[in-house]
Amino acid sequence: MGDRDYLGEFEHIVVLALLRLENQAYGVTVRQEIEFRTKREVSIGAVYATLDRLEKKGYVRSHRGEPTPERGGRAKRFFRVAAKGMAAVNRTHRAFESMADGLALIRSSS
Amino acid sequence: MTRKLSLKKPPFLAAWTVNLFAPAEQAESILGDLQEEFSQVASKSGRGIARRWYWRQSWRTIAHLAGSGLRGAPWSTAAAVLVGFLLLRFAHGLPGKILTVVTDKYLIYWSNHFQAYLWVLRALPIEYLMGSALVGCIVALAAKGREMVTTMTLGLVLFAMAVVGTLWAVTVTGDPSYLWNLTWQLNDPIAIVMGAMIVRMRRAAATTLASL
Repeated sequence: MGDRDYLGEFEHIVVLALLRLENQAYGVTVRQEIEFRTKREVSIGAVYATLDRLEKKGYVRSHRGEPTPERGGRAKRFFRVAAKGMAAVNRTHRAFESMADGLALIRSSS
Repeated sequence: MTRKLSLKKPPFLAAWTVNLFAPAEQAESILGDLQEEFSQVASKSGRGIARRWYWRQSWRTIAHLAGSGLRGAPWSTAAAVLVGFLLLRFAHGLPGKILTVVTDKYLIYWSNHFQAYLWVLRALPIEYLMGSALVGCIVALAAKGREMVTTMTLGLVLFAMAVVGTLWAVTVTGDPSYLWNLTWQLNDPIAIVMGAMIVRMRRAAATTLASL
């Protein structure tokens, strides 16, 4: 994986959700945050498949929480954005901004 | 007085199916997340809506996990399917060959015990299916983390080949009764996938024990 890689659309959304949730980012909160902000239904499988891919790329790190009774004794898996992930999200943002710069139509149609 | 936490149980079959498809290291957190949200939805909107929500999430989750499993390792999945296909050719021929060798060697015995010989002949399809299940186990062992999607791919390839072969036979002979063979041909992929289920469930149990 090169250092000039950009995030895919859903990867970008997931990383932004992790940044918003800070130290409360795990499957349920990430999924709900994305649904709330994008108004699109997201499956927990899509979230995990993306987080797993981002972790393999070194953009995200995870750690296991304590098992809780409301989860049937299963542990939460918390995620946070790694330095490499921050660089990737900034790079992707800059690319979008650069491409959208001067396109008045995009701003007026939103 | 202590108040007991009433844990709302999600549909067992849906949770079990998700567990089959989820990679062992992700299964606990995925099922825990689904359980947590199921309880939230049930408290807010009722058990019926929560159950429908759980099933819908489960199917979408399985589709994503299967898709990402295939996309993540397409070549090793293809190699496992090919090895499974070759193993099946060997496993399916083996019971018949063993029977021929035994029959030739103990011809006098069989001629005196013809009923026993007939029972062995009747058992051949069962041995055939056990061979398929064994191949499913071997393929699943090789495709760690993608047990179900790999064996289901193998099963689909086999069934597609059976459909093409049957349609060809119907076209050539003009006899539609060949279509009934497809019901038997479906047993083979089912046996392969069941073999993989056994391996996946044992791996899931081992991961759960290790995390305790």
